[in-house]
Amino acid sequence: MRRMLQESLGFLKREFFKYYYENIGRLVPPEPIRSREFGFFLEKGKGMFRHKCFNSLRDFHEFVLNEVPFDIYVSAANYEDPCNRDMSEKRLVNAELFFDIDAESVSVADSEESAWTCQKCNQYDLGFRDRCPVCGSPTEPVRLVSEKQLKEALRETEKLINVLSKDFGIALEKIHVFFSGNRGYHVHINQEDFLSIMGEGRREIVDYLLVQGLDEKELFDFLNRNVGIESVNPRGIKGRVYRRVLEMAGSMEKHKGGRSRRETVFKMLGNAVEELKVRIDPVVTIDMHRLMRMPESINSNSGMVKKRVQHGDLTFFKPLEEAVAFGEEGVSLKVRVAPRFNLGGKTFGPFKDEEVELPTYAAVYLVCKGLGEYAGR
Amino acid sequence: MGEVSEMTGENVLRAARYPFLPDAKEFISRNIDLSLESLERTGSEAALKRAVERVKDALIFKEVRVSGLNELNYVREMLSFPIAIILVSVVMNEYVRRMYALGESRGAYKRMLNESDETLLYIGEKLGVEGVLDSENTIRVRIPIYLNLAYSFHSPHWKLVNRILDNGYVLVSRSEYARLLQVEVNNYIYEKTLEPVPAGAVPESFKRAVEEIVKVWNKLEAGKPGYAPLKEREDTPPCIARIITRMENGENASHFERLVVATFMIARNRNIDEIIEFFSKQPDYKYGVTKYQVEHLAGLRGGGKKYSVPSCRTILTNGLCHPDEYCRGINHPLRYGEKNAARKPGVS
Repeated sequence: MRRMLQESLGFLKREFFKYYYENIGRLVPPEPIRSREFGFFLEKGKGMFRHKCFNSLRDFHEFVLNEVPFDIYVSAANYEDPCNRDMSEKRLVNAELFFDIDAESVSVADSEESAWTCQKCNQYDLGFRDRCPVCGSPTEPVRLVSEKQLKEALRETEKLINVLSKDFGIALEKIHVFFSGNRGYHVHINQEDFLSIMGEGRREIVDYLLVQGLDEKELFDFLNRNVGIESVNPRGIKGRVYRRVLEMAGSMEKHKGGRSRRETVFKMLGNAVEELKVRIDPVVTIDMHRLMRMPESINSNSGMVKKRVQHGDLTFFKPLEEAVAFGEEGVSLKVRVAPRFNLGGKTFGPFKDEEVELPTYAAVYLVCKGLGEYAGR
Repeated sequence: MGEVSEMTGENVLRAARYPFLPDAKEFISRNIDLSLESLERTGSEAALKRAVERVKDALIFKEVRVSGLNELNYVREMLSFPIAIILVSVVMNEYVRRMYALGESRGAYKRMLNESDETLLYIGEKLGVEGVLDSENTIRVRIPIYLNLAYSFHSPHWKLVNRILDNGYVLVSRSEYARLLQVEVNNYIYEKTLEPVPAGAVPESFKRAVEEIVKVWNKLEAGKPGYAPLKEREDTPPCIARIITRMENGENASHFERLVVATFMIARNRNIDEIIEFFSKQPDYKYGVTKYQVEHLAGLRGGGKKYSVPSCRTILTNGLCHPDEYCRGINHPLRYGEKNAARKPGVS
């Protein structure tokens, strides 16, 4: 990202402070607060300030209001000694199970919905280009996440919730869903006996969700027995995959192609897995020491809030409206380049090399994305 | 006397057969003075002898056998178990610790296969590995319990993705349940042997017993490079370092040994070509085959699944564990010397 101007940094700090001042009561880290490690980005472009711990909620809130961090993180893990700088000396007790689902990047055809910048020579423009027309080096695409992409990520999240509740037996009230504030969704599981699952066990959960390591030989043996769909134990992902393969095989019977049986089965299996797997980020779930973005805190990659989504609201949740943290008051912004984007229920842009007046939330968004600089009220 | 002395004959025999159960401990603590001095006085010679036998069984046969006659001598049998733990702790050798835990748990596993459902579930409950018999007469285990025990098994049918899951439970067969209990017994006993025994408190007769165990162990280890207690810690744990050295000398490694080395190198982010180059010294080396296999393990082929490095337990059962002091308390080769390894976690 381009270095932000001092005026812009001041603008963000002022706005972030206002948000935290008004909403500090919403910032409640998971209990027990004393056994958590905290991390903060206090300055843009600097490393994370971490291994921080707090004795009380009050101390934590005081720190946030004093420092006005750009980003706030809290450990999924409980430690005996959370502020020890040596990870193994922290002595991990247990950790919440945690999932991350990101919106997939899609290629955009519409030139007004994309833009690019060149890190090397500072060129930029709307539209799409692989290489900078001036210096020839590869460009950085500017793609702002769309409502549609987030919708897909939300569908994936619903799939996850379904598997967690049906197969893993986790009650809905223990499954906390959040919009990450930028590109995806976070799911925190706060169920007592799942806290104790260690790294290897978490890897197994990841493999289960991504349907990795399914015993193909067993599937072939099963198919060779030529039994009907009703003999599949429908429970668990294995049951669902088997049923799906059998359904596909049923409809395939009518138009046999030239493929070998083996190839056909593999193809069906691949399709069934694509359909049934839950696209979580494996690294996040396996790493017990991971720091999670603090719920209700601002994501400085967008200026939106990491927002809790109640189960009843999942279907109609509108992240780009409901996670907006700042007001409507007009702000002048010098925009370098910004493709068209939706935020707060309105559509903005595209902009190029212009000074525009935007509502505060949209101005914060572009500044956070490094696409514009603050130019006063 | 309390409830324990009212244990039925059947239950006393069960406690003798599974002396790691709290039942045995309670029976002993209610009926016998367990302090080390008194143990030596109260004619515990027979129990000590049996304790040595337990450890030797574990070292030589990798299985502690309990005969019907042993069970009938239930006081001696129950007593011999905590004594064996003391002896193993005093030996202060990581390999002996691990082999003893493995031998006890293997023996227990075999015995459990012949138990009734009721006894099997009882043992599970006492070990904190509760199983529930469902309406379809299948044993169910809570997912977290299953995962924390089953991850060390490498066969694909243990993977969660290949199991039937239902509402928080994994469905397992009787023998699978016994296998899970075996792991728990193994972990429990291993942890016990890590507890230090104050040297001054060890009676003479115990010291002699320890010497006897060390002698047996030395015989078994003859011809193998010695156990090196303290040296500069390498990045590679001793089990894997040994395989690597042997392979570098062109010795033919087993399939499992190759799997261990390859997955370890992949886990340490070694470049695929480098790994293939390393395997090229093997007598049966074929570039295409090796490349395919290594890429498969790295998750670059097939289902995209990256294979993990086998756990300490698996390496031990394959006879490849040669631990040093930095192995103490770890259960996975990648955790070798973990206390010193600073890790830098990510954020989300």
